[in-house]
Amino acid sequence: MSDLDRQIEQLKRCEPLSESEVKALCLKAMEILVEESNVQRVDAPVTLCGDIHGQFYDMMELFKVGGDCPKTNYLFLGDFVDRGYYSVETFLLLLALKVRYPDRITLIRGNHESRQITQVYGFYDECLRKYGSVNVWRYCTDIFDYMSLSAVVENKIFCVHGGLSPAIMTLDQIRTIDRKQEVPHDGAMCDLLWSDPEDIVDGWGLSPRGAGFLFGGSVVTSFNHTNNIDYIGRAHQLVMEGYKWMFDSQIVTVWSAPNYCYRCGNVASILELDENLNKEFRVFDAAQQDSRGPPAKKPAPDYFL
Amino acid sequence: MATPPAEARSNRAAVQATNDDASASKLSCVKKGYMKDDYVHLFVKRPVRRSPIINRGYFSRWAAFRQLLSQFLESSQAKKQIVSLGAGFDTTYFQLLDEGKGPDLYVELDFKEVTSKKAAVIENSSQLRDKLGPNASISVENGQVLSDHYKLLPVDLRDIPKLRDVISFAEMDPSLPTFIIAECVLIYLDPDSSRAIVNWASKTFPTAAFFLYEQIHPDDAFGHQMIRNLETRGCALLSIDASPTLLAKERLFLDNGWQRAVAWDMLKVYGSFVNTQEKRRIERLELFDEFEEWHMMQEHYCVTYAVNDAMGIFGDFGFSREGGSESIRSISSP
Repeated sequence: MSDLDRQIEQLKRCEPLSESEVKALCLKAMEILVEESNVQRVDAPVTLCGDIHGQFYDMMELFKVGGDCPKTNYLFLGDFVDRGYYSVETFLLLLALKVRYPDRITLIRGNHESRQITQVYGFYDECLRKYGSVNVWRYCTDIFDYMSLSAVVENKIFCVHGGLSPAIMTLDQIRTIDRKQEVPHDGAMCDLLWSDPEDIVDGWGLSPRGAGFLFGGSVVTSFNHTNNIDYIGRAHQLVMEGYKWMFDSQIVTVWSAPNYCYRCGNVASILELDENLNKEFRVFDAAQQDSRGPPAKKPAPDYFL
Repeated sequence: MATPPAEARSNRAAVQATNDDASASKLSCVKKGYMKDDYVHLFVKRPVRRSPIINRGYFSRWAAFRQLLSQFLESSQAKKQIVSLGAGFDTTYFQLLDEGKGPDLYVELDFKEVTSKKAAVIENSSQLRDKLGPNASISVENGQVLSDHYKLLPVDLRDIPKLRDVISFAEMDPSLPTFIIAECVLIYLDPDSSRAIVNWASKTFPTAAFFLYEQIHPDDAFGHQMIRNLETRGCALLSIDASPTLLAKERLFLDNGWQRAVAWDMLKVYGSFVNTQEKRRIERLELFDEFEEWHMMQEHYCVTYAVNDAMGIFGDFGFSREGGSESIRSISSP
């Protein structure tokens, strides 16, 4: 068994790697990711997955439902870290799978794959807690800068974490972005990771998130038409039912973190596309308590008490 | 003897521990600049940093509370009193003193385990002790602080005769305008006790405003999970099924003798009542990327206020007075 296979087995048990192993893994991942396009081409069949947010045991549930990698070809739409208790194990497992099976798993960047956001939403603190230093956080956030910004399945389904940008009309414009940087506060790269579709918006609107834009149905129609796209697959927003179509099936939100933050009570889903791009949503619940490993001292989800 | 199911899901120590949790959250807000509170740190052993959604939620609750309290304190009648049911480590009294708004009498009630701890903190902190004046007497053993304008007393709120005794021992004057506070307190009690307290308050204070902040909507996916999570930590919301909606919260008061009652969920309170300038200020304090969850969480909490108005001083009291006339003392941004 190679070191990498051993590490994958270890991570599947939710046991983190050593700091030096993380460093080596990130170096290998960097060599692979640097070669990927800003609009990474992905072949069908493929399974689309939305936000995971460090909910390791729920991601194991996802693999149970969707099948193991490499048997199943996966496209993850970002937001691997923050919020959940196991961002480290979650991200490292996905990264190890990427290094081991580069053609069977695609990871694109979410707005939480950022130095700034992870310092607010948990990944930074988790690395510090689990390793006693921020080195692992540094290795991981350096890798974030190399992750692709979007993907296109069989040239027909455009996939991105957040949504569209007023600065982007064509996929070629995305291809020209220099992505190897921290997520900027504005501009095309920021918008792709932060924007949201919104029913009540006609054209473009200000986002309450303070980054990215809200975009309406006409924007999607025009983008899909210009780029000869059937529909857009994206994540980024919690959907209680696991997925949600908008604008007459021109865009779909896929959400893959069940019982988000261990608090929201929602189901999750993944979208399976077969070789003919036929769609099947697989909806799943949070992992049962007894499959979550020993009941370690985890902080209870916060409420207003 | 078999344990009644309610007690298995709810235990006294766990419910009291919610007080420590709340204090830690308030301190998290204060450290981020959401609000000013020079005293809450005295009550927190292990400071933690809460996520922005928790900070913003505590801020919205604090702002709504302080705006309604300000309306009460500004109303024409001169002498006023406040009673806080299940006060925990709340520091509002000390903040009001700093703001020159201290009422004639501020009474805090809670389980003795809590009042003893609070009395000890007050005793050991000159910052707090000095505010109570030279006549203050503090007994940690009895969980009691008695001063001219502030009184901290132990009582099990479910025992209405004792509650009556404590209120008269505290020398509250039932005829004075009274502001009654119950933040995440009644919801932990059995429905009969909650109703009895609301009823007692109405019968006791003919000129009063009751401020209630607590959970609603146990019956959707978020609500189910909330109930489960809180029961796991021993804090069952024993009263939530008896008043699960805004309408039911209003009925709780109207059916128990109050003249007027209005319940809004916290999403609406934040959107339409919390001072706009304050919102603008705090929304810049932290990155905020939790909107879907924020909406759900705020929809599962509400403020209900109820009014008895024998003196006719509460004409325009309530949410309709937008943003609070004299806005809460804001802090300069850090």
